[in-house]
Amino acid sequence: MDKIFANRWLRLAALAVFAVLLIVAPLVSSRFINYQLSMIAVFAVALLGLNIVMGYTGQVSLGQSAFLGLGAYIAAYGVRNEWNLVLVLLLCAIIPAAVGMLVALAAARLRGLALAMITIALPIIGIPLARRFSEFTGGSQGTTVSFLGAPDWSGLANDQWQYYVVLTIAVVAFVLARNLVRGRVGRAFAIVKENESVALAMGVSPYRYKVLAFTISSLLGGVAGFMYLAIVQFTSPETMNFFTSINLVAAMVIGGSASIVGTILGAIYYVLVPVVAGQVNSSRTALISGAILLAVLFLLPRGLVSLPRRMSLLIGGTRRRGASPRDDQNSPDGASTADPGTPETPTAHEERQAR
Amino acid sequence: MQYFIQVVVDGVATGAIYGALALAIVLVNRATGLINFAQGAMAVMSTFVAFGLIRAGVPLLLAAVVAIVFAFALGAFLERVVVRRFEGGDPDSAVVVTIGLLVLLGGISALFFGYEPQPFPSFFPLGTINIFGVFVSLRSVGTIVILLVAMVLLQVLFRSTKLGLAMRAVADNPRSSALSGLPVSRLLMVGWGLAAALGAIAGLLVAPQLFISPGMLDFALVYALAAAILGGLDSPVGAVVSAAFIGVVEGLAGAYIDFIGDDLKIAVPFAVMIFILVLRPQGLFGRKVVVRV
Repeated sequence: MDKIFANRWLRLAALAVFAVLLIVAPLVSSRFINYQLSMIAVFAVALLGLNIVMGYTGQVSLGQSAFLGLGAYIAAYGVRNEWNLVLVLLLCAIIPAAVGMLVALAAARLRGLALAMITIALPIIGIPLARRFSEFTGGSQGTTVSFLGAPDWSGLANDQWQYYVVLTIAVVAFVLARNLVRGRVGRAFAIVKENESVALAMGVSPYRYKVLAFTISSLLGGVAGFMYLAIVQFTSPETMNFFTSINLVAAMVIGGSASIVGTILGAIYYVLVPVVAGQVNSSRTALISGAILLAVLFLLPRGLVSLPRRMSLLIGGTRRRGASPRDDQNSPDGASTADPGTPETPTAHEERQAR
Repeated sequence: MQYFIQVVVDGVATGAIYGALALAIVLVNRATGLINFAQGAMAVMSTFVAFGLIRAGVPLLLAAVVAIVFAFALGAFLERVVVRRFEGGDPDSAVVVTIGLLVLLGGISALFFGYEPQPFPSFFPLGTINIFGVFVSLRSVGTIVILLVAMVLLQVLFRSTKLGLAMRAVADNPRSSALSGLPVSRLLMVGWGLAAALGAIAGLLVAPQLFISPGMLDFALVYALAAAILGGLDSPVGAVVSAAFIGVVEGLAGAYIDFIGDDLKIAVPFAVMIFILVLRPQGLFGRKVVVRV
């Protein structure tokens, strides 16, 4: 018990340092760095949604970019018509959530790849629709907006103010999502992921929880779209690009599936790797990004979040008799670090006890 | 009527390209149980090999044969060196590995040939052929015929050769196959190699039309995935039929429904696909999978 306590204080301290860094960083950095930090916050929220449906609930979704784009378009439309920004943010959450829910109501009966295919269709259908309805979307040219400038009293530059806004949204989203996946709903997600028949036998409707996971995922995608527009101040059909979805899935697995910390690591990876690769050699971005992706997976098949465990296994594995007891406390969402076959059994067990 | 048949034949030809890629995806899925997002990138890379040879003065047909052989080797190599490590593990990781390959192979192609689309010589002369009073383009007919021949050869390989039997055994049950003395590891490599070679044929056939660039088949890949899943992932026939269906639906919707036109037509087959999948989750030709508790 002593060890847990020490560990918890350590984690709180780390969290505090992290928070201070997040708050101070934009005040001392260049516009370029602020932009990258803001983009990390944007894609962290998009990835959080993806992780809820894919990492936690085990349903492959290849359509997250469609919700990102939808959210961005709704935000752009609201801003151009000078609606209240809080209202716009709410709409950016509600409309994509409703669309996601409608799709899921039809699709959640399906399993595995059929479901994946329907989610692939979303960006594929979304892009030509966005081009066609140009009075709302600006067509292929996209639409540029200017909003969320820093108010005078704050004394901040626009990019710093926008950073704080998206950071606040991201923090709220992460706290809510963390509570969700650690509670009753999170356990239901885990058992749906593990085995739908077992879930059904335990009184957990796989259909309802799949729909719920998709709805939350699309909601977060839409919110990320609002944040995207706040930072980039521009959106076009390209925002929905299918390959954005694919890269988001890659970033989610690279970060660590079914893990909150992994989601943040995935977002950092998603935003920074192209930037780093571009600075190494701007015409070799794809080559370097691809090589980095494969290298990470070869070294850390469970994602970046498993790095500390991997290190401790390499360094002090024999002394600590394996790292499993510590791991359980570090990530109650077990699946992120432990073997894929084993961790769900205790989860299933808990669920039974909870009832 | 004339126009209708032209649209249908062109649709089938486009569909045949998707079909070849879809078949490659099905082959890989049956052998190793994963979806290979890099199937298109592998095909493009092989097509680039032919492109480089042609630029160096090698005749078109010879260059094509070398490209197909290269594709076979590339597929076998990637299975052994990269994908093998992730087989049987977390399926999400395995899929993301193929996404990594997609990005990496595109980068390698661009390293040698750049991102600019470049013209690629056609295997067929320009012009049309008169079939029962209807004029259809030679290119469409040629594409359909070559891919049909390739598919029939594959079917013969799988149905009536010892190698094909062994490969089907491995796809069906790798552990029993290993216990019966089949070289499972080598057969998996052959499976990937065949899939890659088929992809290369599709790449070679479509390159004159699309112009060759690292992203040439990105879009075709999405259609191929749709066809593979719509057909039911374990059914080669289903993949091919669905691909032709997608090509024709897209062509007809673009040609005849004014509201849809050229820009919205790509959405139509996907909308139809959603509808079909909701009614028949296992795909048109797939077997229903029963999950045990």
